[in-house]
Amino acid sequence: MKLIKDRIVKLSFVALLITVTAAMFYTPTASAHGEKSQAAFMRMRTIHWYDLNWSKDIVPVNDTMTVTGKFHVFAGWPETVAKPEVSFLNIGIPGPVFIRAGSWIGGQLVPRSVSLELGETYEFKVLLKARRPGDWHVHSMMNVKDGGPIIGPGKWVTITGSMSQFTNPITTLTGQTIDLETWNIGNIYFWHAFWYAFGIAYIAYWARNPVFVPRLIACEAGKADSLISATDKKVGMGFALATMLIVAATMQSTNEQYPITTPLQAGLLRGMKPIEMPARTVAVKVDSATYRVPGRAMQMTLTITNNGDSSVRLGEFMTASVRFLDPAVHEDDTGYPDDLLAEEGLTVSDNSPLAPGQTRTVEVTASDAAWEVYRLADLIYDPDSRFAGLLFFTDEAGNRQMVTIDAPLIPSFI
Amino acid sequence: MSASQSAVRSRAEAVKVSRTFDWMIMFTLFFVILGGYHVHFMLVAGDWDFWSDWKDRRLWVTVLPIMAITFPAAVQAVLWWRYRIAFGATLSVLGLIFGEWVNRYFNFWGWTYFPINFVFPSQLIPGAIVLDVILLVSGSMQLTAVVGGLGFGLLFYPGNWPMMAPLHLPVEYNGMMMTLADLSGYHYVRTGMPEYIRMVEKGTLRTFGKDVAPVSAFFSGFVSIIVYFLWHFFGRWFGSTAFTKGS
Repeated sequence: MKLIKDRIVKLSFVALLITVTAAMFYTPTASAHGEKSQAAFMRMRTIHWYDLNWSKDIVPVNDTMTVTGKFHVFAGWPETVAKPEVSFLNIGIPGPVFIRAGSWIGGQLVPRSVSLELGETYEFKVLLKARRPGDWHVHSMMNVKDGGPIIGPGKWVTITGSMSQFTNPITTLTGQTIDLETWNIGNIYFWHAFWYAFGIAYIAYWARNPVFVPRLIACEAGKADSLISATDKKVGMGFALATMLIVAATMQSTNEQYPITTPLQAGLLRGMKPIEMPARTVAVKVDSATYRVPGRAMQMTLTITNNGDSSVRLGEFMTASVRFLDPAVHEDDTGYPDDLLAEEGLTVSDNSPLAPGQTRTVEVTASDAAWEVYRLADLIYDPDSRFAGLLFFTDEAGNRQMVTIDAPLIPSFI
Repeated sequence: MSASQSAVRSRAEAVKVSRTFDWMIMFTLFFVILGGYHVHFMLVAGDWDFWSDWKDRRLWVTVLPIMAITFPAAVQAVLWWRYRIAFGATLSVLGLIFGEWVNRYFNFWGWTYFPINFVFPSQLIPGAIVLDVILLVSGSMQLTAVVGGLGFGLLFYPGNWPMMAPLHLPVEYNGMMMTLADLSGYHYVRTGMPEYIRMVEKGTLRTFGKDVAPVSAFFSGFVSIIVYFLWHFFGRWFGSTAFTKGS
């Protein structure tokens, strides 16, 4: 019996060791940015990113690529999220694997925070320069003060080459051309090493004699004052004087070496120029909307009125960066990320051309595994159970027209 | 050997044991202070010390000395009142800076590839040495707080300027002016840190035009005096020994 017990103990110990070792060596790549964990209503009802384009899939180090597109600042912005009065156009990448060589909203460079208007649509562009080799998920991203990051769609981009080849040349207004990647590093190391050595020298002076035990005994015996000699004070004053002289002299010499310096730049950029959208000729009323949990499908009853002069068809429903397409009307040829594209995900009960002046009520179903994969189905657990998205209608000439919808959503569990 | 006998048998052996004890305590003390001070400093000074585009002439100058004088004051109190040693502030700051460099080099650069010229720690050693020497020369907590605390605040900006000035060269970038430090912040993407989080050049100190750094440094020095007192007392309390009476 004891033998069996011992064996069980030994085997358990071996199993534990194997488990711990396996856990230590199993290090899968973390490749997501938490985009799926963000509350569904927030992704659906804040910033709608569309017409996105990643200019390259493979970029060598030092080469550039762009992420371009449009974003619509939803008019029905949720009350529980701070308004985008102070926002920052960011880029969702795992650290500085690219450098952000430029970012623009409506043609204006936006290195600082900006103020955005609800209901407006803006064009954006982010210029990235490849720095660190690897496969990286590149997202568009808007940070909203007190609201958090609102991440857009992401696409895998590969950087090839070697990071040691990366350079970041910049010409200053004083006429110097420097490599920002390595600029000033030697100077920083020198001053830190210098002061560290100076600090160690000060402590070494004290540590040359016994430090703790005899001094504690003397202090306990009331002889503390005898522990500091006149030499100690003189040496200490020497250190302090040298410190102040070095600080003053280096301040002076630095100012002589760099006579022109400017303070850090900060401030909010207002007046971002939105896109002047053409007058909408299609009006949509959401009569009802249901999310069928077992079927992973959203069903909407829409009343569509065409006030234009060309017949239209519903080609796409987009929400939280997931695009549901009716392939009979619209096919994507932009290389949009597969996982966010339901190429046959949109069905309309009657999607025949809606003639000018005509009104029709249709049943629209947007179904795809993306509802689950992107955790949009979690909308039913959100504090404000509404959904929103963009509908894209295509007219006879192939022009697309964007219409926003926003309505309560009723979950169906059976 | 009975329990009442000494563990050492000669003066030479006693000195040797004492020295061994010194190094053990110094080594332990260094890393204990490093751990506590580093965590404290990351929590209260954090981004102002992490990134060069946070190191402005107002808030960086004001916040860092105030938050940095804490542990030096406390450790100084313990070492001075218990041992009459005047290197508490320097030892604390050396610990902090060593910990910061390990963090910046291995985490910020080695792990996430931010260039060192963007993430190097601020320099605090000149102020710490002066703080220690004033205590050494005066033997007075009050004088150390007032003169040393003020000096700790005043020496911070000029002590860092040789490293910071090259990053404040102006650049014209796509039609906007920035410093090289601003440009680093813009180029080297921090996904979790939008630009609006940066607390730089904020406040109402506009009367002094461009010369706000000395005013900020004086203000920082004044507050450092108060913080020094507070943490000095923490140190004295922490370093005290209290015995309970036996029955």
